[in-house]
Amino acid sequence: MSTSVERQRAGGAGGGGSRRLALRRLALLIAIAAIVVAGTREIGELRAYRESVVASEALTRQVPLSTYFDGIRDTLMDAPVYVFDSGVPGGSVLILAGTHPYEPASPTMAYVVMENIKVSRGRVFVIPRASMSASSLGMLGNAYPAFFRVRTPWGAKTYRIGDRETNPLDQWPDPFTFVHYPSRQNLAYQDSRNLNRAFPGRPDGNLTERTAFAITEMIRREKIDLTVDVHEASLGYPVVSTYVCHQRAEEMCMMAAMILSAEQFPMKTETSPKTLRGLTHREIGDFTDSFAVLMESPEPFIDKFVGPMTEDLMVTGRDEFEQTAADRGLLYTDYSIKTGASIDYRVARHLGGAAEIVKQMGEFYPAKRVDASWPTFAEVMQHGVGYFLHDPSKADRRRVFFN
Amino acid sequence: MSMILVQEIIHQIYFVMAAVIALLLLTRLFRRRSRPGLAYDIVYAYAIVPFLLRALHIK
Repeated sequence: MSTSVERQRAGGAGGGGSRRLALRRLALLIAIAAIVVAGTREIGELRAYRESVVASEALTRQVPLSTYFDGIRDTLMDAPVYVFDSGVPGGSVLILAGTHPYEPASPTMAYVVMENIKVSRGRVFVIPRASMSASSLGMLGNAYPAFFRVRTPWGAKTYRIGDRETNPLDQWPDPFTFVHYPSRQNLAYQDSRNLNRAFPGRPDGNLTERTAFAITEMIRREKIDLTVDVHEASLGYPVVSTYVCHQRAEEMCMMAAMILSAEQFPMKTETSPKTLRGLTHREIGDFTDSFAVLMESPEPFIDKFVGPMTEDLMVTGRDEFEQTAADRGLLYTDYSIKTGASIDYRVARHLGGAAEIVKQMGEFYPAKRVDASWPTFAEVMQHGVGYFLHDPSKADRRRVFFN
Repeated sequence: MSMILVQEIIHQIYFVMAAVIALLLLTRLFRRRSRPGLAYDIVYAYAIVPFLLRALHIK
């Protein structure tokens, strides 16, 4: 209840007072609207921005994901699939990247593969932005930049840093509890928009589940032998710097991890828990014939205890609080602020990790061998990621794509 | 396909609901008899923002 004194303070008596009151409110509304317009400019830019990629000469076709399931056509989740087919019989590999866009070494690794790949046996499929919708917004409450830039010899190349979950503009409202299909396991409500909790998906589910279904259908129809789902993890998360593998792929993973740890960089391996539902390494392995492997690289940017979440932190991975955590033995991987965990290092890890697991599949199952090459861990550590990205303005237009 | 259609209808209804709430708050900002103080004006103007952003498909 307002008092007469409040009413008098607000506008005084008579027509002049109410006019002043209306003007004040209008001014307030205009001020708020101006803040909204200024504050949401970057949000709009993020949703509209398209990343360029200059595909290598090995590209044979690009198709939309809806080719495999029509239920996602005309949505932002209808991501492009790039196919590199040698024409020589062999195995087939899917590099699934951008499932969680706020782990950007994943799509960046996919772009480096796409721009440089050579295939002489078998087929390689690449989905660089599996959750296109999630890449079109930032995470609520985390004040981090919308974009980061990679330095190249011809200038800076800009990439989106997105969210973990599908944009509510594309899928809303959330349920009170997300019930995973078909296990019926209850998950957190926001996991209804988490692509890596939605596998194997279903054709009449929500948009995220339908996207997972489209990817699963693609794996079945294309007879993908190995699915490599590329992620990043906080350093305080036990499975950082790890292959997480479905039990059918665990021997390959163990061998790959041993070789990587001995020759290139520390890599652990873990078998996918059977009770953790909805993730690629569990459901793709259970519901398709593909070997399912998920890779995690160390990303300080997504640890909860780091300093300001800036573009510099994303690119260099240097943070004093991370160092303090490392000094106290709280991290699950090695960390030094001197070297950080740069985007070069994280992308290089993924390139090396994917190459080694593909190689091991060929060793264990010669009929499924895929001979494909892309920049190695050592090459990227020496030259940086930008060295392997090409200038779209000088490339053959037929090989330039926008995601 | 019918489930997808139902989901899409619910999805759009929520945008309409956001627009209705934004409109309601806007009306209350200008046309209210009680609590005319500046603090309430600011709260009403501020509270409109998330509904407006959602209704306009911005965030």
